Amino acid sequence: MEPANVYAYKLVNRKEYFSPGHRACQGCAEALGVRLVGKALGRDTIVASATGCMEVTSTPLPFTNWNVPWIHVAFENAAAVASGAEAGMKVLMRKGRVPKKRINFLAMAGDGGTSDIGVQALSGALERGHDFIYVCYDNEAYMNTGIQRSSATPYGASTTTSPAGKVVPGQITWKKNMPEIAAAHDIPYVATACPSYPLDLIGKVKKGARIKGPAYIHILSACPTGWRLPPELAIKVGRLAVETGVFPLYEVENGRYRLSIDTGKLRPVEDYLKIQGRFRHLDEGMKEKIQERVIEEYERLRKKIKMTEGD
Amino acid sequence: MITFTIDGFEVEGEKGQNVLQVALDNGFDIPHLCYHEALKPYGACRLCQVEVTKGGRTRLTTSCNYPVLEGISVQTNTEKTTRARKMVIELLLARCPGVPIIKDLAKEYSVGEPRFKVDNDDCILCGLCERVCREVVGVDAITFLGRGSDRKVGPPLEINPKTCIACGACVYICPTNCIKLEETESERTIVRWERTLPMKKCKACGRSFAPWFQLEYFGKITDGIPADFWDKCVDCR
Repeated sequence: MEPANVYAYKLVNRKEYFSPGHRACQGCAEALGVRLVGKALGRDTIVASATGCMEVTSTPLPFTNWNVPWIHVAFENAAAVASGAEAGMKVLMRKGRVPKKRINFLAMAGDGGTSDIGVQALSGALERGHDFIYVCYDNEAYMNTGIQRSSATPYGASTTTSPAGKVVPGQITWKKNMPEIAAAHDIPYVATACPSYPLDLIGKVKKGARIKGPAYIHILSACPTGWRLPPELAIKVGRLAVETGVFPLYEVENGRYRLSIDTGKLRPVEDYLKIQGRFRHLDEGMKEKIQERVIEEYERLRKKIKMTEGD
Repeated sequence: MITFTIDGFEVEGEKGQNVLQVALDNGFDIPHLCYHEALKPYGACRLCQVEVTKGGRTRLTTSCNYPVLEGISVQTNTEKTTRARKMVIELLLARCPGVPIIKDLAKEYSVGEPRFKVDNDDCILCGLCERVCREVVGVDAITFLGRGSDRKVGPPLEINPKTCIACGACVYICPTNCIKLEETESERTIVRWERTLPMKKCKACGRSFAPWFQLEYFGKITDGIPADFWDKCVDCR
């Protein structure tokens, strides 16, 4: 849907479910992602939010930014709470205590709450097949507590617990491929999205809400503070992540892979790395290594798309 | 503020709003296919029918183009409205049996096999594409053609729409996804209107980003923007 990017923005839901006035940093792409997800899901939504930036910045007592029912839960169980809410509402509707209606259940967490701490609750909820959407806002480290590394931190990135120095060149492990882990549960819908492509993101969230059963959406959210990036480049860096192939946008519908934004020839990964301070220390050898890995993963994705198309 | 009731609950609307808008804002579930908040209401799909009681007289009417009035009482879910909606869904299902959104509605309202002659169309004539082209985009490239059972949407006189800028707003808004947009490196095509436009390449990064004709149109309707602004894509500007 991304080519229709001129007038289609005027047709997006005008109501705000994540209102302005929150305390996220300047240029926070995660806040933008939350806002777009809210617009896509509409008012009949119940949100279970794990600990993370969006909990801290949006609900400082006694204020709230949420215009929908919202519950803050512990780091590890956003998916469990959302599945409980879904099961509870189902029973209440069956017993006639609540009028029958289509309600969206949204569990949201950061990359730490998804791929490190919350992965067992998420895996359980996906396996049980609850009708809910899980959205992971991936800013590639524990940004809220001061940029500690997580399993979603990419190779080479300097964080406060994987600092780049003379001996260790920042993060020494590769990023955990969370969308693939979710897709391995054989759930109806898995997608990756980025707030730099808003129409694509809204379309994917809407699709996930419409599909019966669990949906997992992985949203790359640039974090200017943690990525050591000027705030005005937060949108650009998301586009570069997609154009260089670092974070390809694809969806897996019933096991069928599809590339949603095909940018043709990939840009050199250097374009993405050089504007971020967290990759400032990388030498040519490491950049080469990252480039090779990106191309390898991209080719693997293309193979999956080819393998599953048309059947 | 205008106060009235929907299903017994007191709600407030502003002058100029319509009943459907207020009902949706307050969480009442009224199905609708041809209504969009950014466009003028049109009343084509007849799915949003409700019973409105005004001055002691009750009648069935579409809520999308019924203005909010002081003291009216609206019923969104009665025997009459359900019957009316079921009929509409059955007719739509006979026209477009393969469209997912219609199939979902049929399931929700337990409408089985339609009793009418089954066609195999994919357009429900909601007019959203035609209205968005006129009201939001402002180029008026497509319109309703024909009457009665021959009615359809397309470019005037069914020849290549000369004013279409291939912006894709109609593709985005179509509830049945029957308008498709195809893009290659060199051209963009809106398949249903048979409009193909060559793409312009960005001077800085070399990617094609928008049709030439579209950028020329933007150059014409905007003031005070240097001409070379349109040479680069959104990432390079």
